[in-house]
Amino acid sequence: MRSPFGTVFSWLDLRLGLRSAVWPILTHPVPRGLGWFYVFGSATLTMFTLQIITGICLAVVYVPAANDAYTSLLYLNNEQPLGWLLRAVHYWSASGMVVMLALHATRVFLMGAFKYPRELTWLLGVGLLFLTLGLAFTGQVLRWDQDAYWGIGVGAAMMGRVPVIGPTLVHVLLGGPNIGGETLSRFFGLHVFILPALTIFVLVPHLYLVVRQGISSRPVPGKVVDPKTYAAEYERDLAEGEPFFPYDVSKDALFSALAVLVVFALAISFGPKGPNGPPDPTLVAAEPRPDWYFLPLFALLALSPPEMETAIMLVMPLVLVAGLVLLPFVASRGERSPRRRPVAVLSVVLLFVTYGVLAWLGAVAPWSPDMTAWSGTPIPPHMVKDLAPLQLQGAAVLQNKTCRNCHALDGEGGKRGPDLTTVASRLTRDELIRQVIQGGGNMPAYGKQLAPAEVEALVSFLGTLQTPGEPSPRAADAAAR
Amino acid sequence: MKHRLLGQLSNPRNASRQACLSGALALLMLTGCGRRDAHVKYERPSEVHDFATLFAQNCSGCHGAEGELGAAPPLADPLFLAIIPETEFTRVVSEGRTATLMPAFAREHGGELTDEQIGILVRGIRSKWGSSEGVGPGPLPDYLAQAGTGEAPSSENREAALQVFASVCGNCHGPRGQGGKEAGPIRDRAFLTLISDQALRRIVITGRRDLGMPDYRRLGDLLPAGQPLSNQQIADMVALLGSWRQAHEEIPQAAAATGGQ
Repeated sequence: MRSPFGTVFSWLDLRLGLRSAVWPILTHPVPRGLGWFYVFGSATLTMFTLQIITGICLAVVYVPAANDAYTSLLYLNNEQPLGWLLRAVHYWSASGMVVMLALHATRVFLMGAFKYPRELTWLLGVGLLFLTLGLAFTGQVLRWDQDAYWGIGVGAAMMGRVPVIGPTLVHVLLGGPNIGGETLSRFFGLHVFILPALTIFVLVPHLYLVVRQGISSRPVPGKVVDPKTYAAEYERDLAEGEPFFPYDVSKDALFSALAVLVVFALAISFGPKGPNGPPDPTLVAAEPRPDWYFLPLFALLALSPPEMETAIMLVMPLVLVAGLVLLPFVASRGERSPRRRPVAVLSVVLLFVTYGVLAWLGAVAPWSPDMTAWSGTPIPPHMVKDLAPLQLQGAAVLQNKTCRNCHALDGEGGKRGPDLTTVASRLTRDELIRQVIQGGGNMPAYGKQLAPAEVEALVSFLGTLQTPGEPSPRAADAAAR
Repeated sequence: MKHRLLGQLSNPRNASRQACLSGALALLMLTGCGRRDAHVKYERPSEVHDFATLFAQNCSGCHGAEGELGAAPPLADPLFLAIIPETEFTRVVSEGRTATLMPAFAREHGGELTDEQIGILVRGIRSKWGSSEGVGPGPLPDYLAQAGTGEAPSSENREAALQVFASVCGNCHGPRGQGGKEAGPIRDRAFLTLISDQALRRIVITGRRDLGMPDYRRLGDLLPAGQPLSNQQIADMVALLGSWRQAHEEIPQAAAATGGQ
């Protein structure tokens, strides 16, 4: 006696031949003892699936029009039942997808899984990496808040530097000469139709190749990849192997389930990201930041000297892409084990450390003036208590002339210039006057913005800022006169 | 089953634990702490109508987080709030104080605040720090100088004014205003250039509570008569200080103070 489900399945299988088509793929043998490092690819796929599901749900409510996008996000956050969760899962799952993809690519690189005969799998993977970053960027724009607005501004400015076709590219990307409703339509089209379709288009052959070439064996030091002997060796590994289903797939399933749980836990705990302020260029107090995966680039662009900017924006990505594309051809044979590939390990360490440091700098953005410090960050009271009238005026000059937007006192205020808490221990009165009037380093000259009395008051206040109990250069300065 | 972990997870004996976990997750989802509160949404700077926020963003930089112990004279000063007329207070916040570092905050004067926000600030400062206590009995001096006072004193009046100055201000600022043990110099051209007569008048009347400078009553106690300083005496002090502003060489007035560019 068959169950109703069995009856339906048999009816379908007789016509579709699912069992004979899918079963061999599911149970294809994989080498033994792969361990837990092989789960990140499937987790990336899981996150992508989650993105598609939540993305479709979001697209049903979201209005991709300049005037309504922001409102429709607020509606999702506040009105739509569980809309906040939908947005939150979409955001955290996007982050999860980038993290899993990075781990997956790093694992493949470190274990030499890109070598013969899997070069094409790697190339498609590189394509998927850039498509994912494209999805991340365009998705950030759909949030249509201050971060989105200024983010496109930066992206468009970078694109405009492309020789010859730059301005045309910008025009196409923005849908006109400036950021507006057409821009949002473009990015909606990219994020919802073009990029996901391309991603699936590249993902299918990537997965096909994974099945076709089989999962790479564990790298063993001393066991080198040589196209002449590879096939025979891999066959041996498979003969000792085990079927993918149900053994190895269970690890993938467990890890993916865990990843989904973590995404939901984060989404429930921290909720959706944004939208922050509306995309209005007149709001000067905006402090736009890209989403975390682009923070290193944000920092790099902010910190690069002007003469290197174009090289960093245009040449560096090309070098990076070229490196990733050429890798399987340059290093298609030889050792696979990271124990025998110190250069590979070091480059991964260097890449992650650089990424981490730049991301931290991007999150802190010390180069960004604190535009409200002049009127909203008090002078520490202990610095005010014993001041003479002129020094009090000087403290007011420091606030009024927006020095605090770049200079901190006791760590409070802008971080663009040095903290002034003990400036008098570093500079004499004459040096202070010179620095204020003529500027120097990154500091503009303020000689034209300040009246002589204001300079005198300011320097008189700055002169009180020294390390307690330490002879200051000012005292020596005065003694010498 | 190959993996101990997988075996444990798929063990039916753990079903109740799994059910609990799923239930907890579902409950969390319905009452999620990541849920967005409809009231917490972005406010444009011009829509901020909360006094504490407005004060912290616009005034605390110079007047201190609690309205005192800042570079500029305290706003947490009942005497000051008792003598300054409402219209004058609003005008000072809107247009700034000429010849001082107090910037204009109204939009029509280059600031960033709406008239409504300025109203909230002025009323908020009054209700937070204004009180009849701490003002003391008797008639209060005029906040604004009367017409006809404040001209530089004639030579004989000047001697008298200097006498008063030495008794009233000299204890702390030195008999000639050159600075003493208690307080720094006020006979300082740079200082006097950066402060207007009206601002000087305010300081003479209210003192600086937060820094220990006495008000006009306690200053008057230092005179033989022991009376609070009169309007005339206050005007004379301000005029005397003003005369020291004129130096043998011309110092340009401080650039009109405008903040925030």
